[in-house]
Amino acid sequence: MAKILIVDDEEHVRAALKQVLERAGYEVAVAATGNEGLELMRREGADLVITDVIMPGIDGITTARKIREKFRDTRIIVISGGGKAAPEPYEPDAISTRSYLASASSAGADRTLTKPFDRDEILRVVRSLLDEQ
Amino acid sequence: MARHLNTIPGRLVVMLLLIHALLMPPLFYVISNTVERTMKDIFIDHVRNIAQIFADRIERLEPDASEQSISEFLDSAILSGQGRYAAIDIDGRTVASSLMSAEETGLFREDFAFGEHGDDVYYLSLPVTAHGEAAVLKLGYDESPIHEEVAALQLTLTYVLAAYLLLTLLVAGLVSVTVVSPLRWLQKASRAISSGDVDRELKPDSGLAEIVALSEDLETMRRNLVGINERLMNEIAEREQAEAERRHLEDQVHHHQRLRSLGTLAGGVAHEFNNVLQPMVLYLELALEDMPADSLTAENLRRVQELANRAKGLSRQILTFSRHDSDPGFVRQSLAPIAEEAVTMIRALLPATVDLRADIDPASSAVNCAPEQIQQVLVNLCNNAYQAMSDGGGHIAVSLRDAEVSEAMAGRYPHLDAARYVLLEVRDTGRGMDPATQERIFEPFFTTQEVGKGTGLGLSVVHGIVERHGGEIVVESEPGKGTRFSVYLPSIGHDEQSR
Repeated sequence: MAKILIVDDEEHVRAALKQVLERAGYEVAVAATGNEGLELMRREGADLVITDVIMPGIDGITTARKIREKFRDTRIIVISGGGKAAPEPYEPDAISTRSYLASASSAGADRTLTKPFDRDEILRVVRSLLDEQ
Repeated sequence: MARHLNTIPGRLVVMLLLIHALLMPPLFYVISNTVERTMKDIFIDHVRNIAQIFADRIERLEPDASEQSISEFLDSAILSGQGRYAAIDIDGRTVASSLMSAEETGLFREDFAFGEHGDDVYYLSLPVTAHGEAAVLKLGYDESPIHEEVAALQLTLTYVLAAYLLLTLLVAGLVSVTVVSPLRWLQKASRAISSGDVDRELKPDSGLAEIVALSEDLETMRRNLVGINERLMNEIAEREQAEAERRHLEDQVHHHQRLRSLGTLAGGVAHEFNNVLQPMVLYLELALEDMPADSLTAENLRRVQELANRAKGLSRQILTFSRHDSDPGFVRQSLAPIAEEAVTMIRALLPATVDLRADIDPASSAVNCAPEQIQQVLVNLCNNAYQAMSDGGGHIAVSLRDAEVSEAMAGRYPHLDAARYVLLEVRDTGRGMDPATQERIFEPFFTTQEVGKGTGLGLSVVHGIVERHGGEIVVESEPGKGTRFSVYLPSIGHDEQSR
């Protein structure tokens, strides 16, 4: 059975996703930060990683890139909650979901999803990525 | 009075009067005096000659001539013409002309006092020999013709001088008119110029060299001033226009910045909102799976699910406004088929009281666009137009065509360049908006609708989509007349794929 690692600082997002994926028959591990996720990957590995973009510590993009560097076969899905207040100095186009997701792709993410997605959406993406493997 | 004295005619008249007042009395005095003296001398010479003739004739009288004949002789002296007095003193007796009364006989005055006695008679006495005795012939001649002549002469002189004075005053008047009237003209023209009629030429009708020179100089000055004035007016107009354009551009930049700030804020809220919605959506699905589908709890959970979907929709709209939505899928395409489709859909949604007309140029250029978002723009703009119709009826006109943005217009809008655009317009005959409302319509949740009617996100979404397409939306509206939204999207020419 495929193993999935969820990295998200939102506890409820982690827990809900975990339940959905477990119910679909996957083995699920969770991490609240990017570092924790990387540590888990090193220790246990995973076939697929679902990571949030905006997190304290290292963000989802960096997490995805580091995983891609070491685990070439692991599928990566980057998810984002949408807009987020941009840091100063104000550069409206520099930070947005679009650029996050675009940089996620260049950082090695296989797919990107915008929250809130429903169960069918995430399961379809997960299945299709794992089938490619 | 002083005002009149300080004019050219006033000064001239005063000067002439002064000169005449100084010169005329001595002139009058000298002339009349000279004449009077000359006439007196002539009179006296004449009278003496006559008197001498009488004296000679007396001496030639018979020595024994009677008193009677002497008296008759004296009478002849008076009757000869100018005589007034004739008497002779002989040996202590006085024989007088019978033509004089006894009273008159006593009137003889001293000799050689012309005009001094007040009786107009010139008296003279001559020593003669009569009856062989020494006697004195006393004669008096009428001076009055001389006095009359002098008086007449003085009167003539007065007339001549008065006429001369009048003539000089007349000449002064003529000179004044010649000098003053062109000056007056110049003054009037200058006044007209200073009150705004700057095009009046300063060319008085005068042949006076000084006036001509003065008016030529003034005319040159006027032309220069008119030129300077024109340049200044042009410069001011140009500056005002530049200033207005700059202010408009600033307002637009400010407007965009404010909307961006709002977008950033709203995007941040939506982000957090989505992180809350995400587990809710998943938990709801899990919970529903565990419920018998026909249970009341399942029914209630489905209702919550509907609400979550609504929340999701709101969140998407906010993200579209803040341009933080996910990639909507851009393609190079002509907007014509997209607009046609949207119009058909909108027409079906609007009540029959709304007349929706479309003027879509099928040959309009292609743009880099997300078709669904363009349809969203049209739907939202038409919905907005419909909402603006107070009685639920009116006209909406949708048009699509290519448009060239001028330099002037590009200078007024920060997101427009002087280039080719595709212009999508939605006009309505609704209530219209005042400037304060226009200022805020793109703000999320700003709505003029009653509470509960509309989310206040429709135009915010439109703004977000247009910005994302690198375009500009221009609003023109007037309360009571209606509104026009002009959406400019950068043209990429005619793409082969779009045909």
